[in-house]
Amino acid sequence: MSNYILALILGIFFGFSLNKAGLTKYHKIVNLFRLTDMAVLQFMMTALIVSMIGLYSLRGLGLITFPVVPATYIVGNLVGGLIFGVGMALSGY
Amino acid sequence: MKWISSYIRKEVWSPYVAGILLGLVGIAAVWLSNNLLGASGAFENLAGLIGKAIAPKLFDNLYFNFVMPPGITWGVILLVGIFFGGMIGAATSRTLKWGKKDASNSDEQWKSIIGPQKWKRWTLGFIGAIILEYAAGIAGGCTSGLAISGGMLLAPAAFLFIAGMFASGILTAWIIYRNRY
Repeated sequence: MSNYILALILGIFFGFSLNKAGLTKYHKIVNLFRLTDMAVLQFMMTALIVSMIGLYSLRGLGLITFPVVPATYIVGNLVGGLIFGVGMALSGY
Repeated sequence: MKWISSYIRKEVWSPYVAGILLGLVGIAAVWLSNNLLGASGAFENLAGLIGKAIAPKLFDNLYFNFVMPPGITWGVILLVGIFFGGMIGAATSRTLKWGKKDASNSDEQWKSIIGPQKWKRWTLGFIGAIILEYAAGIAGGCTSGLAISGGMLLAPAAFLFIAGMFASGILTAWIIYRNRY
């Protein structure tokens, strides 16, 4: 149960950061693909760097174990990504 | 303290600040509950739940039995949180358009490129979302679940996915915008 409450709280912060970074707006997403507005990329990469450093140092300290890492199957990941980009540029979500 | 509250009320934050917040949420998710932040999987859990109730024969397959078991999972609750978090974000910057006239199609750029009609926004949004969800099913995650959460665990899948996403996204945007690219 507490796990679900945690999910709700984390989700609220997740949605809040997405909204404040402007990822809930169509023009932010599509302008990334037009290469005129890099905010989405800056947002994603900052999040990646912060959490990479945090997670790997926490694992180094022995405080956490990693959950199941998303599986790598080269064709699936690539084809999925290719189709995903079409939908993302079309709808802007 | 005053600058914090005035920053919260700003409509668009610096992407770096918002990114740091998301990074911390990502760390907290793994640390406190050993889960990854995924959004698209939750939709499949919900779809499975509904599908099993309506057409159990059709949904009795490998995918919905083992890959994406239906149910109210951690991700579904996270999704509810994301919805309300986004609303809170919009409310703090006074851009929440709940019940307002142009709420379903308020983006100026969309209006100038595709048109002000509501049905166009809804139709293209719907089709785009089907494509998104289908592709997320193939790749094993979406932008949040695979690209960000997988990327922070340095999963090769995440970077393949990002490469594919940008290649086709740029191409699609180029086709839509053509000479206005």
